[in-house]
Amino acid sequence: MVRKYIALLRMKYIEMLAYRLATFVWMTGAITQPLITMFVWMNIHPEESESFLFYFMAVIFVERMTSAWDVWELDREIREGTFSNLLLRPLHPIHWAIAENIVYKWLFLVILVPVWMVGAVYWPALRPHMTGSQIGWFLGAVVLGAALRFLLSYSCGLLAFWVTKVAAVYGVIDVISLFLSGRIAPLEMLPPQLREWSEWLPFRYMISFPIEIATGAVRAEELVRGFAIAAGWLFVLAAVLQWLWKAGMKKNQAVGG
Amino acid sequence: MVIRVSHLHKSFRVHRREAGWLEAVRSLWRRDYRIVEAVKDVSFTIEKGEIVGFLGPNGAGKTTTMKMLAGLLHPTSGEITVGGFVPFEQKAEFKKMMSLVMGQKSQLIWDIPPMETFLVNKAIYDIDDRSFRQTLEELTELLDLAPLLDKPTRSLSLGQRMRCELAAALLHRPQVLFLDEPTIGLDVHTQENVRRFIVDYNREHETTILLTSHYMGDVAALCDRVMIINYGRLIYDGELSVLTEKLAPYKRLEVRFSRLPNISWDEYGEVAEMEEGTVVLRVARETAAGTAARLLERFDVRDINIEDPPLEEVITRAFQEGVYGS
Amino acid sequence: MRRYGRVFREFFRACFVEEMEYRSEFFGNFAASFFGVGMALLTVHIFFYQTDDLGGWTYAEMLVLLGIFNMLRGFIDFALRPNMPRLLEHVRRGTLDYILTKPVDSMFYVSFRHLVFWRLIDVALGLGVIGYGLYIERYVPSAVDVLMFLVVMAASLLLIYSLWMMLMTTSFWVVRIDDLSFIFDSFFETARFPGSMYRGAVRMVITYVLPAVLITNTPALALLGKWSVSTVLAALAVAILFLWLARRFWRFALRFYTGAGG
Repeated sequence: MVRKYIALLRMKYIEMLAYRLATFVWMTGAITQPLITMFVWMNIHPEESESFLFYFMAVIFVERMTSAWDVWELDREIREGTFSNLLLRPLHPIHWAIAENIVYKWLFLVILVPVWMVGAVYWPALRPHMTGSQIGWFLGAVVLGAALRFLLSYSCGLLAFWVTKVAAVYGVIDVISLFLSGRIAPLEMLPPQLREWSEWLPFRYMISFPIEIATGAVRAEELVRGFAIAAGWLFVLAAVLQWLWKAGMKKNQAVGG
Repeated sequence: MVIRVSHLHKSFRVHRREAGWLEAVRSLWRRDYRIVEAVKDVSFTIEKGEIVGFLGPNGAGKTTTMKMLAGLLHPTSGEITVGGFVPFEQKAEFKKMMSLVMGQKSQLIWDIPPMETFLVNKAIYDIDDRSFRQTLEELTELLDLAPLLDKPTRSLSLGQRMRCELAAALLHRPQVLFLDEPTIGLDVHTQENVRRFIVDYNREHETTILLTSHYMGDVAALCDRVMIINYGRLIYDGELSVLTEKLAPYKRLEVRFSRLPNISWDEYGEVAEMEEGTVVLRVARETAAGTAARLLERFDVRDINIEDPPLEEVITRAFQEGVYGS
Repeated sequence: MRRYGRVFREFFRACFVEEMEYRSEFFGNFAASFFGVGMALLTVHIFFYQTDDLGGWTYAEMLVLLGIFNMLRGFIDFALRPNMPRLLEHVRRGTLDYILTKPVDSMFYVSFRHLVFWRLIDVALGLGVIGYGLYIERYVPSAVDVLMFLVVMAASLLLIYSLWMMLMTTSFWVVRIDDLSFIFDSFFETARFPGSMYRGAVRMVITYVLPAVLITNTPALALLGKWSVSTVLAALAVAILFLWLARRFWRFALRFYTGAGG
């Protein structure tokens, strides 16, 4: 299996290089909305400008590190029929998606970390103050967030076996996620009802939770609780994906190919 | 026997599309279905090393049957075994012993060179280094791939892509090869190359090959045995030579005159088409050349063409005049 | 001119009929529009949970701005967005030739051939939000306000069209990237908010380099009675200037296309 992943990763890496320009352009597109939101908050609470700067830069960073676009890939592959090509091979199609995710996250890491470091030189607000263990928890939370987002994205992609406008369904989920994952506002700024929901739904653990760890907003027992809830969602989403896969295969074998 | 198909049925449920406002609103909560039977009671067996042609017009059920053989579709009823496996169970070992090449859908990754796809396949199919090298060398030579392997797939022509496609499908030395319209859209030269390759490869490795095609040329070059499917039923399963003799014991004579003679054509053949200055005659095989010579002698002929009847005509004939052989 | 009105009506009718084919999507689209506006309102609500004004604009004034943003985006999604990827396809495949031989102005055809009819719901909802905002503010626009508003809206629409058209025209050269529309989207995102909200260096950029905010702010201010004749005239002048530029650019691109390819 390791050898298979090495081959897949290598191939996805080369493929990614062919898409350099497009990837770069898309990345800049992902920056606009958090930036504008940051300016809004800086206007609302000018005295907190520095922490907003850190927060929203962190949002951009964590969002890229956890981003998953498998929903659109799967939607296209299933609709166009190229998904069959993957089914004919003795390797579960999900590994292709995982390999692609790893390669692109590595790319984003390589681009964003130096940019952040340069930024931190000019803007002291960007300098993180994390202890060693904090960094460890932070990274763990990011990986967990990436896994959650991937599972959600892939599951929605599988809906393409039944639904034609999968993108619309995912769009709804994504908009809800905007609020509950902390991309519109740091969760503490939200009205209490929304804050309550964000604690129990998976979205917080995709973006906000790692950032809360990095800023020290999360205390010891909350840390454990947070990871527990996130892990719980991991199992739930994995189970959902399993179930959708089995159902999807049955549907595909009945009509499609 | 390598492939065994027994009383295979496949039917689909298709939504009825309605026109008109009222029906459309109604369809939001109640859908009308119609059953389409794509494959009806098909049975056949294929032995190791055979190359069998699977013919039929569009929508006849060829691709559906092939997808069932490859495990992509689940039959409605009936049994299939390929190499001892039940295809729709999609076991890994099954996938390793077979390969499906679809003329329309490529497995090569678009923006990177075919070699990269080969390397991925090597890992996925657990091919060891030595076997991989040997197989790659053989395929590169047979298909003349050397200049192609390092160019991105998108920069290759259709013919070049098909050759790489075949190589990718054969790297793991499958015992069974399914080819779905392999020469579609290719120029004549490449078609011939591909056909020659398939014949050579089959002879060398005794791979069992089932191919679907529209082209009589594919069939003539590759298949001793053909199966004809129409409207989901297998209407012929036997040797090609027998089929041609029985169903198409004639040739098409297309003659263009400078002025169409006003005669009875019965002494020359059966009139299939007539327009402007051109007549198309159906003439018995044996007498075709002779008839052509007589026409050239007696009339002012501008152009003359002797052809085999098109596949569509053969099959339509088969269907109209009943089932031949089995 | 009248003829183009007729042609536009034909495009409209053709796309209407096409849309009606997919009736099950009808309700989905309705729902999507409502949901979109709802979420936008929620976003503003969240901001105003923490404050009473944003760059000097009250909650009600923000609603008017949001309504205008929604209307403009509705127009973009209705007429401009569907045509962008199609132009790219035409250029790639060379099928632009068919369009060039038609007795209709090519730029007009390419911008309006495909209309996504249900996006007009966004325009209607935008109007609704504007109405709601005015209601909360207890401000009834005078006839002159409305007139100024219409003029400035027209200018904004022209400007959006021109910018969008210029972006589309670049697809003659940039064939690799599938859909350039997100460039405009990113640019236009800044227009959700009042220009006065941005500060410092960013304010400079927003005002002089990428003045997207003016597209939405100016009509909003006009409707709220805060217009000035000079601003209105300036808006019109800029819009017409950019329309002229877009046309020149299109002509230039066509010369390039027919010279090199075909």
